[in-house]
Parts: sequence; structure tokens; C-alpha cells
Amino acid sequence: MDLASILYLGVTIGLFAVFALIVIRTYSKKRKERGEIAKYRMLDDD
Amino acid sequence: MEKTEYNYDIVRSFVNWSIVWGVVAVLVGVIVSFQMVEPGLNFAPYLTFGRLRPIHTNAGIYGWGVGVIFATFLYIVQRLCKTRLWSDGLAKFQLWFFNATIIASAVTLLLGYTTSKEYHEMEWPIDVMVVILWVAFAVNIIMTIIKRREEHMYISLWYMMASLIGVAILYLTNSAAMPVSLFKSYSAYAGTNDANVHWWFAHNAVAMALTAPPLAMFYYFLPKSTGVPIYSHRLSIIAFWSLIFMYLWTGAHHLLWTPVPDWIQTLAMAFSVMLIAPSWGSVFNGYLSMGGQWHQMRENYLVKFLIVGITFYGMQTLQGPMQAVRTFSAFIHYTDWIPAHIHMGTMGWVSMISFASIYFLIPRVYGRQLYSIPLANLQFWLILVGQLIWSFSLWIAGVLQAGMWNAMNPDGSLTYTFLETMVEMYPYWWVRAGGGLIYFAGILVFIYNLYMTVQKGESVPSAAAFAEGRA
Amino acid sequence: MWEKKPVLLLIMATGAILVGTIITMVLPFAWVNTEADRIESVTPYTALQQEGRDIYIRDGCNNCHTQTVRPLVAEVIRYGDYSKSGEFVYDRPFLWGSKRTGPDLARLGGKYPDEWHYKHMESPRAMVPKTNMPDYGWLADNQLNPQKIKRKMDVLGFPYTDDEIKALAGKNEMDAIIAYMQKLGSDIPWREAVEITIVGDLQNPFKGDAAAVSAGKLLYMENCAQCHAEDLSGDIGPELDGANYDEAELFELIYLGIPDGGMPPYSKLGAQKVWQMVNYLQEGQ
Repeated sequence: MDLASILYLGVTIGLFAVFALIVIRTYSKKRKERGEIAKYRMLDDD
Repeated sequence: MEKTEYNYDIVRSFVNWSIVWGVVAVLVGVIVSFQMVEPGLNFAPYLTFGRLRPIHTNAGIYGWGVGVIFATFLYIVQRLCKTRLWSDGLAKFQLWFFNATIIASAVTLLLGYTTSKEYHEMEWPIDVMVVILWVAFAVNIIMTIIKRREEHMYISLWYMMASLIGVAILYLTNSAAMPVSLFKSYSAYAGTNDANVHWWFAHNAVAMALTAPPLAMFYYFLPKSTGVPIYSHRLSIIAFWSLIFMYLWTGAHHLLWTPVPDWIQTLAMAFSVMLIAPSWGSVFNGYLSMGGQWHQMRENYLVKFLIVGITFYGMQTLQGPMQAVRTFSAFIHYTDWIPAHIHMGTMGWVSMISFASIYFLIPRVYGRQLYSIPLANLQFWLILVGQLIWSFSLWIAGVLQAGMWNAMNPDGSLTYTFLETMVEMYPYWWVRAGGGLIYFAGILVFIYNLYMTVQKGESVPSAAAFAEGRA
Repeated sequence: MWEKKPVLLLIMATGAILVGTIITMVLPFAWVNTEADRIESVTPYTALQQEGRDIYIRDGCNNCHTQTVRPLVAEVIRYGDYSKSGEFVYDRPFLWGSKRTGPDLARLGGKYPDEWHYKHMESPRAMVPKTNMPDYGWLADNQLNPQKIKRKMDVLGFPYTDDEIKALAGKNEMDAIIAYMQKLGSDIPWREAVEITIVGDLQNPFKGDAAAVSAGKLLYMENCAQCHAEDLSGDIGPELDGANYDEAELFELIYLGIPDGGMPPYSKLGAQKVWQMVNYLQEGQ
């Protein structure tokens, strides 16, 4: 593998890692309540 | 007391004006569809297909589409932030400057002052106007969010903010030009570069003006109409980041097989296919929000518009990636299949959500109950049938013409001349014009219903009585 | 975190948008329109051609016509050599289009003589029956404004001479748009490179076949009558008298065309149809 291919691979893996982190963070147990509260709050704005 | 707190005046005005420009867009669309079957309907120099088609597209995108964005965002932002708009004066300016910009666009395009870049035809002085307009809008929305009285930001606000930023970056970059006079400029980019910049703009204008905002509306008006929250706020967040990240890579799928470097085309193709995931993230979120509520499809006309709208979005975001694949693009690109695809998105997805949003808003901002639900149902069927006739006729036409373009004799010569393939299109173009007329009839019913609502609708004692949107 | 901080959310959203933007839109400037894809024979537009291009833009011709030939078999046979990046370096804006209601025009230059274009623009249906293209005869009523065009050339930085600008006086918009169309795609010698050849002996497969003569007549009316007149008496092209040629000569003329004489090749119709036309020209009168 030449340098460019390794670089591409690195970027690709990096992007997947960022995506995985976002998913893990969003779906962590700690954040369940905080993550979903907005959808209930929006219903009682009237 | 809430009524005095929010600025509904501006919402009313934007609803009304967006409908005016929506009528213009559809009417001009019907006219150009007849020009395609009967060239005698071109009246040179102003009323020719070449000059009217950009008026149709720009009135649709900037007049109707952006008009509805202004109306709904200015409403939603106040409700979700539980506070009045940051600046009433700025919003008022935005309203009049919006109409001035759209009128200036229509007049200059009719006169032939155009850059030729699709969905960005207006010459540079109007680009300046659009930028001023967008900044006024963005500042007002962002400042309202900053001074909000509700700590949690609902997903609709996320999509709104992405749209504000996205449109600004896209429009400014693609506007760069060297002016010759007030009405003529040359692009700052040349040839292949210009093509690549332009389709980066044009495809993402679809993302930032015709996808993110209707999603913001859908996520707000669906739970408001059904009375139950969306299925998952966290899923909407994952879909949000994926969508705004991936969209920007895909512009070159409009340029497959052109001289644009292959690697850009390949990236565009790959990201287009990946985009199915965040798109369908929102579609599923919508469907799953209906759990236990599907009976509302029968009972609540708002839900009908919204769910059929998101279904069109689902179809659009499956068909789009399919077209973005090189082999399929080779066959179908440049045929009537493409307008069929676009119109499923605009007439189906964006407009269905817009109609639902306006039906939701009217009783609340005018304090009057909708004049007639049967008429709203009639409109639903007219625009649904009109759109399906429109798109199906041209999908068939596109496949037919693509097949004829590629047909070859055993000796390697072409089976059909270009004209022979075009003549085959006439019957389908007639059917399409018919579909457009049915759709236009639906819009007239819509306007009549709203007019009667404002004139004769029963007054609503308090907006709270309509909180669930089941009129 | 950003769930409650709008400014932070805006910054992060901007970042997400910029990644794909920089990679697929900004970065390509490093490779496109550089020495690497330069083509020596491609020249800037003359003042007349550039004005024609601006008229093409003004009247939205790009709404129905594309200007890029894809490297696909049927497409190269129909239109000509596929488009190269270096051919478009002087195009501001690009005019590749997105819909072929009418045919692609990237290789239009030199395909027809000027007279064909004047007649076609005046009344497209006279030259291409059943087309839906509107009439553009009115372009001939509008005189060009040399000073305005000079200014355009200055902004574009294209070379011109004072004589060239002076020569614009008295010319009209029709002259300009046709000059532009004749330039399209003709900067590279693609016609010479294609070189259609006829293989095998030229044998008339329809000798004495009356059906072929009437089929040939139909083909003649569709493809040839616009220039050679329905009664073969000639108009843009010369009068035709099949008796002056032997059938092999006639076949070659139609099949290969006369590139320098404004006669397009009809090889893409296939040998069979060309033979039918030959039979009509020789026996159908």
C-alpha cells in the first residue's frame, strides 16, 4: 500500500470512529432522559 | 395571554405571500408544459420556454419554498423557544425585502438577465439582495434561539440552524462572479470547475432549502397534529449529523460521465447511496411516531398530508441514490425521468409538508376554524393524483427515450434519429400537462378554502382548543 | 453540551458541512483547468462568438440542450467524440445543461453549413419536422452593440483586435449565435480522428426493389429535403441527379458526407437506410 491509500484508509476509519462516538454518546444510558426530554417539552408549548 | 406574546402578524403575511408565489410557480409550470407540446405557444422574446422555465423553478424554490420556510420557521422558533421573535422590525423588513427580491427576480429573468446556472439564474444584484434577506432572517432566528425561555432545543431548531448556515455558504460561493454591467456577469469559475462548484451548490440547495427545512416542519407539525411525541429524539439527532455531513459530498452525481475528475464522481456516488440511511432515519422516525395512531390517517387530514409527504420523501431518497449510480445514470440522465424525480420531491414531499404546515397555522394565526375539511381532503386527492400522473408519465417517457437513444442496429448504427425519439415523447408530455392542471386545481381549492376560512370561518375562542390540530 | 448551546451547535454544523465541501469542491481546483488537462488547440471565443454565447444564455437555450458528450457508445456515435475537460477552459459559465429536450450541441460546430442554421433558427419546423423548438427568427432584428461586446471581452480577458470590434457593427444577434454554434466542439480535430470507413465491397442489396425506393423516399424527405428540396432541385445543397453517379459513389457520398462542403455524414443511420436512399435517388424520379 502506498502512502495515499493508507491515508484514505485512515480518514475512512476516522470517520467511522467519529460516527460510532456520536452514536455511543447519544444512546448512552446516562443521556437517555436528557436526549428525549425535548420531544415532550415541545408538546406543551401551547 | 399567550396570543399577545407571540408575533403572529409576520407569520400571517409570509403564509399569504408564499401562497401567491406558489400559484405563480405552478401556473408558469403549467404554461411551459404546454409550450413543450405546442411550440406555437412561445411568444418571443419574453414568453418563451427558455425564459419562463427559470421563472417556474425560481418562483417554486425561492417564492413558494423559501416563503413557507420563512412563515413556518418564524412561527416554530417562537413556540419552541417560548418567547417572542427577537426583532419584529427586522422580520417586517424581511417580509418586504423578500417580495421585492422575488419580483425583481421574475422581472429580470423575463428580460433575459440570467447567469444560466440552474436554480441560481438571477444576476449578481439579486444575489446581493438574497444575501441581505438571508442574513436578516438568520440573525432573527438565531437571536431568538439564544434568548429562548425553553432550555432544551428540539430537533426542528437543529435543522433550522443547519439550513441557515448551509444556504449561506452555498449561495455565497456559487454567486462569485465578474460583473460587466448591472445585468450581466461572468462566473468567477471556468468550465469544469464552474460545473463542479455549481452542482455542489445546486444539489445542496436541495439539502439545505428543500430537505432540512421540511424536516424541521415535519418534526414539529407531526407531533403537534397527532398529539403524541415523535418516536425518538435521539434517532433524529443521529440522522441530523449524518445528513448534514454526507450531503455535501454528493453534488457531482449530477455530473457522472462528464469531464469532472472520476474520483469526485465516485465519492458522490458512494455518499449518495449512504445518504439513504439518514434519510430513512427520519422516515422511520415519522412512521414509528404513528404507533397506535394510524387511525388518525383516516380522521385527521393534517396527518394524511404529513405522512404521505414523508412517504414521498422516502421514495425520493431511494430513487435519488439509484440515479446517482454510474450505470443507471448512463441510461437515464438527460431524459424526462429527471424532472419526474425532481417533481416527486417538490410537488410531493416539500409541498405536502408545506400544505399541512399552512393548514395547521391558519386557524392559530387567524383565530378561525378551517372553513371546510372535505375541501382539504379534496385538495389532498387532487394534488396526490396530479403529482402521480405527472411523475409516472415522465418516468415512462424517460425509460422509453433512454431505450431509443441507446438502441443500435446489428451493423453498429443507431436505430433512431434524435427527432424520432423526441416525437415519441409528445403523448407523455400531454399527460404530464394534464397532471399539472389537476395539481393546479388542487391549489385553487386550497386557496378557496383558506380564503373562506379567513372570511367566514368560525372564530376560535382560544388557540389551546386546537392544540391537537383535530378540527 | 451543544444540545443546549446554539452557537456551539452552529459551529459544529458548519464544520460538518465544510468537510465534504472542501474535499469535493475546493480541492479539485488544484487539478482542474491546470496544465495537466490543457489542450493546445482550444482557443478563447472571438468577440462575435462570445456575444453569441451570451445570447444563447440570455434565451435559456441550456434549458433544452446539453453541451457535453459522455464516453458512452451510443452517445459517441450519435454526437461525436466525448467531451474533454480542456475544451471548456474559456467557458464562463459552463453550459453542460441537465436535460436533452433537444439534442446535445457539444459537437455541433461544422456539422451543418451556416445557411442551414439561418433557416433552422428562423423556423425550426421547416428543417426538422415535428420538433418543438420555438422560432428564433427575431434574433436577426437585433443589431449588436460593439462597445458593449468590447467591454465583455475586456472583463473576460480574451484577445481581440479593433477591426474585429468594428466588424461587429451591422451584424445582428442571429449572426452572433450562429458563429457561436459553429465554434462548439470544433477546437479539437475530432472528426478527423473518428474517420468513418467503409469495409467490404459496395453492393446494392436492393437492386430493383420498389419497396426500398419508397422507403428511401421517406428517408430522403426526413433527412435530405431540407437542403436539397423535396423535388431534388437543390437549395442550400446542390441539385441532385442520381444518374450522374454510380451507386457506389452515391453511397459513399451519403454515408461519409462531405466534411469540408457542409454535408454531414449519415453513417449513423446504418448502411441499409443509406442504400434505400441511394435507390430512391437513382430510380425514384
